[in-house]
Amino acid sequence: MTNGKKLSEKSIGAVCAVVSIGAFIILWYWGTQATQLGLLIPGPFDVLKAVGTGIVGKVGRHSILAHAGYSLLRVMIGFIIGSLVGVVLGLLMGWYRIAEAIFNPLFRIIRPIPPIAWIPISIIWFGLGEDAKIFLIFLASFSNTTLNSMAGARSVDPEIVNAARMLGASERKIFTTIVLPASVPNIFAGLQVAISSSWATVLAAEMVRSSEGLGWMIVAGMNNNDMIQILSGIVMIGVVGYILAIIMRRAEDVLCRWNKSGK
Amino acid sequence: MKQKNKMKYFCISVVSVCTVILIWFLCINVFHMKSETVFPGPVKVFNTFLDKLHTKAPDGATLQAHLWSSIKVALLGYALGALVGVPLGIAMAWNKWVDRFVRPLFDLVRPIPGLAWIPMFILLFGIGITSKALVIFLGALIACIVNSYTGIRQTKETHLWVGDVFGASDSQKLFKIAIPTALPMIFTGLRVALGTSWTALVAAELLASTKGLGYMIQQARAISRPDIIIVGMLAIGAVGAIFDALLHLVEIHVAKGMNAK
Repeated sequence: MTNGKKLSEKSIGAVCAVVSIGAFIILWYWGTQATQLGLLIPGPFDVLKAVGTGIVGKVGRHSILAHAGYSLLRVMIGFIIGSLVGVVLGLLMGWYRIAEAIFNPLFRIIRPIPPIAWIPISIIWFGLGEDAKIFLIFLASFSNTTLNSMAGARSVDPEIVNAARMLGASERKIFTTIVLPASVPNIFAGLQVAISSSWATVLAAEMVRSSEGLGWMIVAGMNNNDMIQILSGIVMIGVVGYILAIIMRRAEDVLCRWNKSGK
Repeated sequence: MKQKNKMKYFCISVVSVCTVILIWFLCINVFHMKSETVFPGPVKVFNTFLDKLHTKAPDGATLQAHLWSSIKVALLGYALGALVGVPLGIAMAWNKWVDRFVRPLFDLVRPIPGLAWIPMFILLFGIGITSKALVIFLGALIACIVNSYTGIRQTKETHLWVGDVFGASDSQKLFKIAIPTALPMIFTGLRVALGTSWTALVAAELLASTKGLGYMIQQARAISRPDIIIVGMLAIGAVGAIFDALLHLVEIHVAKGMNAK
C-alpha cells in the first residue's frame, strides 16, 4: 500500500518535471521563432545541435569534450593540492590554540579576497600559462576546506577526548584517531563548496586569459558574437558541474556512512 | 588565568602578522629578491593606497569612485536576488506543487556557476549595469533558494503537529513555525549569496567594464602596476569582510538561533 503510494508520488513528480521543462523549451522555441528575440538568441534545438557537432567536431582547436578535459585537469591539480593543504592547516588550527594564534589572523586577511580577484596578480607573478590557473584554483579550494576543517576539529565532542585521555591516549593519538575522523563530515562539506568554487574560478581564469577550456569557449563566443557557441559552452559547463557535485556526494555517502548528515 | 592565556595568544597573533609584513619588507626592500615591478614592498603598496585616494591616474578614477561603482552594482543585483530567492525557496519547500514545477527548472540552472552567464549577458545587454546586475542576481538567487529551501525543510514535524492540534491555519503554521525555524539557514543563504555576488561582480568587471575595482586591477595588470593590483585586492577583501560583518550583526538581532552567537 505505502509502496504504491510512493510510486504514484514519484510519477507525479516526473510528469510535473517533464511538463515544466517542456513548457520552458517550448516557450524558448516559440520566443526565438515568433518574436524579435530570435535575432539575439538561438533556439533550443540549435544549441543542442551545436553541442552534438561540438562533441564530434571541433570548436576552435579542440572538441567540446577536450575543452572540458582541459578545464577539469586544471581543477583537479589545484583542487588536490589546495584541499590537502587546507585540511591539514584547518585541523591544526582547530585543534591547537597555538597554531590558531599564528595562522588565523593571516588567514582572515586573505580569506575575504575572492580567488577571482587574484587573477591579475597571478598573471604578473606566474605568467599566462598553467601555473597561474592552478594557483587560483589552489586558493579557491584552500580557503573553503581550511574553514570547514577548522570548524570540524573544534566541534569534536570533548567528552570523547577526555575519555581517551583518561584511558591514557597520547596527544598525537587523540589527534589522529579521534579529531581527524570526527571532522570528516565537516571536511566533506568544505570539499563540496571547494569543488564548486574551483569550477567557477577555473572558468573565470580561462575567460580572462586562455587558449583552451570551457571558459575560453564562452568568451571566444562573446568576442565572435556567436551566441550558439556561448550557449553550448554553458550547457557543457552545467553538465560538468553537475557531474562533479554528484561524484562528491557519492564519495561522501561512502566515507561518512556512519554519519546522518552524509545522507 | 584564562584572561592571561587570551592575552598570550593575542600577542602571538600580533607577532605573527608583524613577522610576515617584516619578511615581506626585508625580502623586497632590503634584499631586493624580487623587483618592485613584480612584487612591490609594503611601503610602496601603502603609498600607492594613499595616492589612489586622490589621483585619478592611471585608470581614470579614484579608489573611492571605483569602490562606490562596484558596491552600487553588487547591492542592486544582490537585493533583487534575495527578494526573489528567499520567498521562492520558502514557497518551494512549503508547497508541493510549486516544488514539482519549479524544482526541475531550478535543477537545470543550479550547476552552472553565475560567472558562466557573463559572456551571454554582455552580448545581450552590453557592458553596462544591466548585465552585471543580472549575473549577480542569478548567483544570489541560487544561494538564497537553496538555503531557504533546506531551512524550511528542517522544520520538525512534531512542531507542525502541535500547530495542527491547536488549530493553526496553514499560513499561521508557515509564519509562526516554519519560517522562524528556517531563519538561521536563510541568513546563511544571505551571507553565502553576498559572497558570491561580490565575487561575480569582480569577475564581470575583469572581463568587460569601464569602472569598478575589478576594472581597476585589470587595468593595472595591463600596465604592470602590481602595487595598484594589491591595493585593489585588499580593498575588495575589506569590502567583502565589512559586508559580511554587517549582515552578521543583523542576523544576531533578527535570528536568535543557532548560527548567531
